[in-house]
Amino acid sequence: MTQAEIKLCSLLLQEHFGEIVEKIGTHLIKTGSQPLRVIANDTGMSLDQVKKALCVLIQHNLVTYQLQKRGFVEYEAPCSRVLRILRYPRYIYTAKTLYSDMGELIVEELLLNGKMTMSAAVRKVADRLTETMEDGKTMDYGEVSNTFVRLADTHFIQRCPMAPETTETSDAPPPPAPTLAVNEKDMYVVPNLNLIGKGKRSRSFDDEDNGEHKAKRQKQDADSKEPPPDDGIYWQANIDRFHQHFRDQAIVSAVANRMDQTSSEIVRTMLRMSEITTSSNAPYTQPLSSNEIFRSLPTGYNIVKQILDQYLTLLADDPLEFVGKSGDSGGGMYVINLHKALATLATATLESIVQERFGSRCARIFRLLLRKKHLEQKQVEDFAMIPAKEAKDMLYKMLSENFVSLQEIPKTPDHAPSRTFYLYTVNTLSSARMLLHRCYKSVANLIERRQYETKENKRLLEKSQRVEAILASMQATGAEEVQLQEIEEMITAPERQQLENLKRNVNKIDASENQVDETIFVLESYIESTVKKL
Amino acid sequence: MAGSGKGRGRAAFTFNIEAIGFAKGETLPEVAFKPRPLFPPTDFKPVPLKMGEEEDYMLALKQEFRGSMKKMPYFMRNEDENQGIEKYSKKYLQMKKESMEWTPDWRRLPREMKPRKKTKKAGEKTKKAKVATPTSHVDVLKKIEELEKKGDEEKSDEEKEKEKDKEDEEEEAAAANEQEEYDEEEHEEENDYIASYFEDGDDFGAGSDDNMDEATY
Repeated sequence: MTQAEIKLCSLLLQEHFGEIVEKIGTHLIKTGSQPLRVIANDTGMSLDQVKKALCVLIQHNLVTYQLQKRGFVEYEAPCSRVLRILRYPRYIYTAKTLYSDMGELIVEELLLNGKMTMSAAVRKVADRLTETMEDGKTMDYGEVSNTFVRLADTHFIQRCPMAPETTETSDAPPPPAPTLAVNEKDMYVVPNLNLIGKGKRSRSFDDEDNGEHKAKRQKQDADSKEPPPDDGIYWQANIDRFHQHFRDQAIVSAVANRMDQTSSEIVRTMLRMSEITTSSNAPYTQPLSSNEIFRSLPTGYNIVKQILDQYLTLLADDPLEFVGKSGDSGGGMYVINLHKALATLATATLESIVQERFGSRCARIFRLLLRKKHLEQKQVEDFAMIPAKEAKDMLYKMLSENFVSLQEIPKTPDHAPSRTFYLYTVNTLSSARMLLHRCYKSVANLIERRQYETKENKRLLEKSQRVEAILASMQATGAEEVQLQEIEEMITAPERQQLENLKRNVNKIDASENQVDETIFVLESYIESTVKKL
Repeated sequence: MAGSGKGRGRAAFTFNIEAIGFAKGETLPEVAFKPRPLFPPTDFKPVPLKMGEEEDYMLALKQEFRGSMKKMPYFMRNEDENQGIEKYSKKYLQMKKESMEWTPDWRRLPREMKPRKKTKKAGEKTKKAKVATPTSHVDVLKKIEELEKKGDEEKSDEEKEKEKDKEDEEEEAAAANEQEEYDEEEHEEENDYIASYFEDGDDFGAGSDDNMDEATY
């Protein structure tokens, strides 16, 4: 947890949950796991507020608790999970591209509420879809349930760990904290619900709808008194699966950029086939035979088996080593080297950053060092074909920004500087970490600037909101054009200009945050892939 | 002797400076003794942002998500005492907000999370509080008389409550007590006369009138 990460987490928590939750969340991130009373003491907030805030954070999967041996419960907030809030729009958009509006709304509701039961989620989504449909039409629960099941089947949503069944006749007092168990087998099993019903509108215009509305409301009230059939089974968005999907997308687009469309389709097919069989942090996918790949190609693609073989050979021989050949049975066994692919993507990001920050000559030196690993000052000048003075200047600039490091190789045991080799080298892992830290700081700065801009113009924003509300109510009750124009003129032209500027700036800053997050994803995936998991 | 190197007083390095790339005798670049500037100048302008449908849609999603989160019951605002000008609409918005309270699933949370209520005491307190708070329909004079009478009863009740407080370990109940005591005191003081200054049986209304008659000129 670097300072930049903590600052970013606290800004994200504040924007999405308010200041009280932010204080407690930040405190937990900074200090690690703590029991309830200590949190209340250290933050100086009342026990009541701390409890409420912790409930909210636990609901949203941002804080976990653990029962310690001495009988008290400790709460912990992993920093990385809080940083995911930045990526929520990307998750929702991915769900939209894969499962259209229904999938989008399901994932959005799950992210808004942290965890929900299937029946609650389906009901809410159906209501929301019904709002957008034409008058008289309602969304059926069945369709929404189908999309829900499909999302679960492809692992994009998963069950939360279950609380143990409480037995009424237990003599011992219940433990201070329930131990939530994860049942691997059941994680994606959808409960057998018979959800019949249609979405509800908040306002109905027809009499028929009114009649149905009342009847449904009565039925709903009756239902809400009994627990729903899937009570206790909560679902959450499976963040790892989304990350896997993003990674696959990045690999496919990299192959498409480097080679052509067909090879990217082949790689996409291979990745699709290994989606469920390969765990998310495996170094390479399970070997796939060329015959299998041929059978699984999408039906639109009419390429002959021989052409496929040629493409696979080309991919395997490519110096980027995205695809590797692991055997000859079945027409050739091919794997996708996931860790290598991530490393290549991260390196490409580094190169691009060096180019944009220091210029193309520095980028040339950087790429040279990446290829040759260790070079002396003189060798750099020679290989890069850049005059000595400029090469020296560029190397020192990059050295001062920590993109490049010096490696000392002594000739004599006393490490005398006159008898030591000084070699320049690029350590991709440490450069990636440094850049990631910089990205976090950038996003934190962007959010702060956006908040500052909004605060500066708060009065104007409120005024414009009020005017809009007045306009809307007047239009609903049927007002004349002249009156509407009068109300609109309450905002003067320079104020309108100011509002336009504000909107443009805020949009730009928001878009920048989204795009920095893409870089954060690539760097984080690379760094994670290098960490050896036990 | 040893150590003087190439001429006295001049910088002499322990290694051959040509190894790093500086020519002999060349002026070395300046040494910086201060931290980097807060907004360092950039040589190259940043690349423009990616534009497109996808980016626009994600931007809209992001802003909508932020807006929806602010309206959810999970968003805990601190209750500001004076948010600038008190708005009339605030009262109606508050009612709408209260209808959206959220209760978590207590089975999944540690037991200490659940706020504990001592229903017996709360019941007693609320009854007394209701009796002490006169509704707006009641006449002001009637209110004063009622409070006069209640003030004596409640004084002794307050003492009892304070004893109970000492036995009570729950912080919340104590906080509730304190709040209700404060409420009662506040309502007692709605008239200008502080009840505790006068003993039982004194008709202070008449007494002060006499004084007033004498004082006016």
